[in-house]
Amino acid sequence: MKLNIEGLLVYFPYDYIYPEQYSYMLELKRTLDAKGHGVLEMPSGTGKTISLLSLIIAYQRAFPLEVTKLIYCSRTVPEIEKVIEELRKLMEFYSKETGESNNFLALALSSRKNLCIHPEVSSLRFGKEVDGKCHSLTASYIRAQRHSNPNLPVCRFYEEFDAVGRQVPLPPGVYNLDDLKDFGRRKGWCPYYLARYSILHANIVVYSYHYLLDPKIADLVSKELAKKSVVVFDEAHNIDNVCIDSMSVNITRRTLDRCQNNVDTLQNTIHKIKETDAAKLREEYRRLVEGLKEANVARETDIYLANPVLPDEILQEAVPGTIRTAEHFVGFLRRFLEYLKSRLRVQHVVQESAPQFLKDIFDKVCIDRKPLRFCAERLQSLLRTLEIADIADFSAVTLISNFATLVSTYSQGFTIIIEPFEDRTPTIANPVLHFSCMDPSIAIKPVFQRFQSVIITSGTLSPLDIYPRILDFRPVTMASFTMTLARTCLCPLIVGRGNDQVALSSKFETREDFAVIRNYGNLLLEMSAIVPDGIVAFFTSYVYMENIVASWYEQGILENIQRNKLIFIETQDAAETSMALEKYQEACENGRGAILLSVARGKVSEGIDFVHHFGRAVIMFGVPYVYTQSRILKARLEYLRDQFQIRENDFLTFDAMRHAAQCVGRAIRGKTDYGLMIFADKRYARADKRGKLPRWIQEHINDGSLNLTVDEAVQLAKHFLRQMAQPFRQEDQLGLSLLTLEQLQSEEMLQKITQIAHQT
Amino acid sequence: MASLSEEVLLVVKKVRQRKQDGTLYLMAERIAWGPEGKDRFTVSHLYADIRCQKISPDGKAKVQLQLVLHTGESTTFHFANESSALKDREAAKELLQQLLPKFKKKANKELEEKNRMLQEDPVLFQLYKDLVVSQVISAEEFWANRLGGVNNTDPTLFNNKQEVGISGAFLADIRPQTDGCNGLRYNLTADIIESIFRTYPAVKQKYSENVPHNLTEKEFWTRFFQSHYFHRDRINTGTQDIFSECAKQDEKGLKSLVVQGVKNPLVDLLSLEDKTLDEGYGVSTTQPSTSNANRTVKESSNYAIIKRFNHHSAMVLAAGSRKGETPADQASETSSTDGNSRDSDFFQPPVKKVKLQEAIEYEDLQRENRPKTVALNLKKSDRYAHGPVPLQSQQYTTSQDIINSVNYIRHEMANYKPNLTQVVSSTAASSAIVALSPGGVLMQAGAQQAINQMVPSEVQGELKHLYVAAGELLRHFWSCFPVNTPFLEEKVIKMKSNLERFQMTKLCPFQDKIQRQYLSTNLTGHLEEMLQTAYNKFHIWQTRRMMRKT
Repeated sequence: MKLNIEGLLVYFPYDYIYPEQYSYMLELKRTLDAKGHGVLEMPSGTGKTISLLSLIIAYQRAFPLEVTKLIYCSRTVPEIEKVIEELRKLMEFYSKETGESNNFLALALSSRKNLCIHPEVSSLRFGKEVDGKCHSLTASYIRAQRHSNPNLPVCRFYEEFDAVGRQVPLPPGVYNLDDLKDFGRRKGWCPYYLARYSILHANIVVYSYHYLLDPKIADLVSKELAKKSVVVFDEAHNIDNVCIDSMSVNITRRTLDRCQNNVDTLQNTIHKIKETDAAKLREEYRRLVEGLKEANVARETDIYLANPVLPDEILQEAVPGTIRTAEHFVGFLRRFLEYLKSRLRVQHVVQESAPQFLKDIFDKVCIDRKPLRFCAERLQSLLRTLEIADIADFSAVTLISNFATLVSTYSQGFTIIIEPFEDRTPTIANPVLHFSCMDPSIAIKPVFQRFQSVIITSGTLSPLDIYPRILDFRPVTMASFTMTLARTCLCPLIVGRGNDQVALSSKFETREDFAVIRNYGNLLLEMSAIVPDGIVAFFTSYVYMENIVASWYEQGILENIQRNKLIFIETQDAAETSMALEKYQEACENGRGAILLSVARGKVSEGIDFVHHFGRAVIMFGVPYVYTQSRILKARLEYLRDQFQIRENDFLTFDAMRHAAQCVGRAIRGKTDYGLMIFADKRYARADKRGKLPRWIQEHINDGSLNLTVDEAVQLAKHFLRQMAQPFRQEDQLGLSLLTLEQLQSEEMLQKITQIAHQT
Repeated sequence: MASLSEEVLLVVKKVRQRKQDGTLYLMAERIAWGPEGKDRFTVSHLYADIRCQKISPDGKAKVQLQLVLHTGESTTFHFANESSALKDREAAKELLQQLLPKFKKKANKELEEKNRMLQEDPVLFQLYKDLVVSQVISAEEFWANRLGGVNNTDPTLFNNKQEVGISGAFLADIRPQTDGCNGLRYNLTADIIESIFRTYPAVKQKYSENVPHNLTEKEFWTRFFQSHYFHRDRINTGTQDIFSECAKQDEKGLKSLVVQGVKNPLVDLLSLEDKTLDEGYGVSTTQPSTSNANRTVKESSNYAIIKRFNHHSAMVLAAGSRKGETPADQASETSSTDGNSRDSDFFQPPVKKVKLQEAIEYEDLQRENRPKTVALNLKKSDRYAHGPVPLQSQQYTTSQDIINSVNYIRHEMANYKPNLTQVVSSTAASSAIVALSPGGVLMQAGAQQAINQMVPSEVQGELKHLYVAAGELLRHFWSCFPVNTPFLEEKVIKMKSNLERFQMTKLCPFQDKIQRQYLSTNLTGHLEEMLQTAYNKFHIWQTRRMMRKT
């Protein structure tokens, strides 16, 4: 259908539309009009992606000079591929309606592992190996060496791409990862580099967060993207953690040992080169004196050598004299390494700020701040000069030099914590230096500054106001949309008591209590008897789940559950869990029914949807608080309090509730879907917890279902399931939660739609 | 005694049944009991009829043995010999234990199958009654065609009886019971053993390796229950345990499953993440190392439980679908043998594409794809079924044509002027009217429409049965053509006589009956016609054969 969104003609590739989609597009348009940033929460399964794409593409077509590019960031590979497929649908609709093939270029970009077509390289299992191997075939100096020695191995796909691939732009169309690979195979071009090159002129780019948020990658991949782009972060409820992760470094003793080896190798290589080819080192020195940055030609392949700090922090001056010669630099690295080793030989926990660390290092080993800042840059230059092929071996020294650069660049927002041992095993010495970022706004700041509109959206962003605070930006629109429903297809229940009136809670004091564990078991058992097909249960942590499973086993509860359904359990091994997941789905498919025991914050809770019969009920055992004893977390909480005036408890609850909402939200994917959401902890009943759930869940919790016993919950669930099992047709939805174009245009409906968006 | 020709395997005296003393006889094919002093059996069960035996627990005062029959009835024997009651009971039990499974297997599978078919298909049952019970054709003939046909022509139909899966909790059903003196008793039934074997082929293998040469069956199961293998939380300690190998095998199986990876890319957690952080970056929430070195005993036992549960569920699931999936498995194997997972890229996209499409589908946003149709609203459905049918297909293709012709006819009618000089004679007219009235020569097509009003329902039912039976016989008959083997020759002759016999014994009495009830005899006209056609065919065939012979 063709929509009129405040004067903008929007093609929407479906015959019907949900009211909230219309409302969402309205808000989105206002954000784009204002050239500002937006925070939009819309329930999962209400067609968020297609609304986003429809509106932004319409906008792009209407105002090609205002918005030149859409950068769509998602989290996982399947998500990326889904976005591209929806886009394909939209584009097909466009060409059908307008009768002309539009010249939009849209493509997905992923890591080499997902795009490589080189027969040997692509057969490697891990992303890191693929990257390393690719690098050893395509790095600029390797290719330069090949001029003198043609026997070196070569990646013909890259060579072919390098020779001709840049001259002809990728023809317009929608390219998913597989399409890129097909295209690459047909032309004999490397799909990865083709994609990386093509994102510069593509109208729509879909890739993962890291390509924009991790400075080490962003510098290489996303540097030249146009400023007049719209950036969308989908599934952005965890964006702060992604930001923090990309700027944090951990150093263990093992890292230092490997680093020592690296430095030795460097030393030897320098010696060797000095004997044979001293001119090369002199040349490098000359370059560094002149302070010339490397010319950018032929550098795109040198992936490991990116600077860890954000672009505006990189110094544009010459490398200081103390580390300019290769030997001096290696000596400098040695000193730095020794210093770090001495710091790791602690008996007690040390926590200090970056300036403190810099002062200490200056006092102890006379290392100045300035050479430290150039450490990463200098190492890049050296590795390139020495023409080292397998850069993956040098990850340790790269890590150290990145740390050096980071610690000397940022005086705020970071903390250094040195722990001599793990808390759980105080007898085993395992010193770790955590250099952790506490301020997610640091990593995302350049994105907000650079691009004219950044949209942060997800199914669960409540409470909305916290994101602008922790990411430090001023949104022009903030809105939370509800799900209009013709039938209440979600049933949140808060189970606070067992049948024996024991209060259910995962809080620390009662965590080991047998009565609680038994009651949790009963809840699962009773539910397994009445819920059809799949049930997913989430625990607050892996250790907690292990303990509960063990005691359920001892008490024979699991055996009784097995009478009703098969049991699958998430493990820490991703491959094993994948298998369990597939078997779980198989068991749901063939009617036997199954239970998946899983962990909040785990991979399953973050990336897997349990649509329709794969998840008829989700049970959240306990409130998934983060492990609060961690010093890093404490430091971060302190920082949040001091800098952003966010109270510790507020943040912890916010964090726990967003994970809980993520978990239970996995079960509902659309209006034809239905599912029970069982919160098994009495603490959920409190207003401060409940109030932090997304509005679309909150509004279905009525006062009657706040503190149920297991039996009461079972009764309500039975009733709900029976109701839901009735046939549900399109006609039932029409006019309420599903609109035709005519219905949409009626005055009354437009009135209603304005109420859907909940402004904060 | 009644049948001494039978081989008597065991005789137990002083066995009470219904408070009567007597003697229990275990014979080759049945178990029997006769009261003392009489030489006839008041209780006699064929082994094939017995579903299972139950015994009273050891501690009980009464030593009893109960037989449960397939019909649900049960018979209880009380071993009353004070000194050797227990021994007697054990002997009887052991013997029964050996005998019963044999008969279970022997129980005529085919008969069961036939029984089931007759029960499930009332038409077939009626046919059976009409043809076999009234001895038109023999039972073998009836079944030969039936079973064979089912087997050959439609194997899926025959196999589509669903395989019963395995209960996920079969191990839980073996509740250990304390026997009072620090021991545990496990009750195993044949079903549970079957479940164990199906779910854990490794155990089955062990069983066939060790029983009975190394261990008795009892010892085997005792060891099974003692092994860590059964108790999932116990960690592998003893190496002398014969099941430690099973555990290893399981481990291997699990690993190979894991290595194989998953087919659905949407649940593959390994390839979910696009760009993992390099080692050393990120806020590490120090992952508990996966090596076993620094796990506590409790942790690793917990880990073992979790692993075993996943494995168990996977095995149960696999056991349930093993049979049906063989072809699919082969297909997937061929695709995976083509190379490592990467090379099978070419196979991957279809699954992936489908899954992706499924994931982005919003069924309720789309208009239903079918073109809109108007439901047919019939006031009288039999008019629709038997309405006047045009003899030759007319070319009324467009509605415009129809309208035109209607207009034309209307026009003709308006301008119609009777030409009174050229009318038909009154006799011809009246005979035409008679012929066109219900029951008339030209309205016989309409007679069938009236059959449900004209004929009482019992006659209708009978007629229906006759049709079915005749159809069946004719099917047999016609399936013999072309007659190219001696067997078929023989059969066709036999079928012809069957048809004749059918006509004589079934059709003629029916005709008489309807005649007696003054119903129109042409009810059976069609049947006779069919038979006649068959006879004609037979005659033609026979004359040809004669000619060839001479």
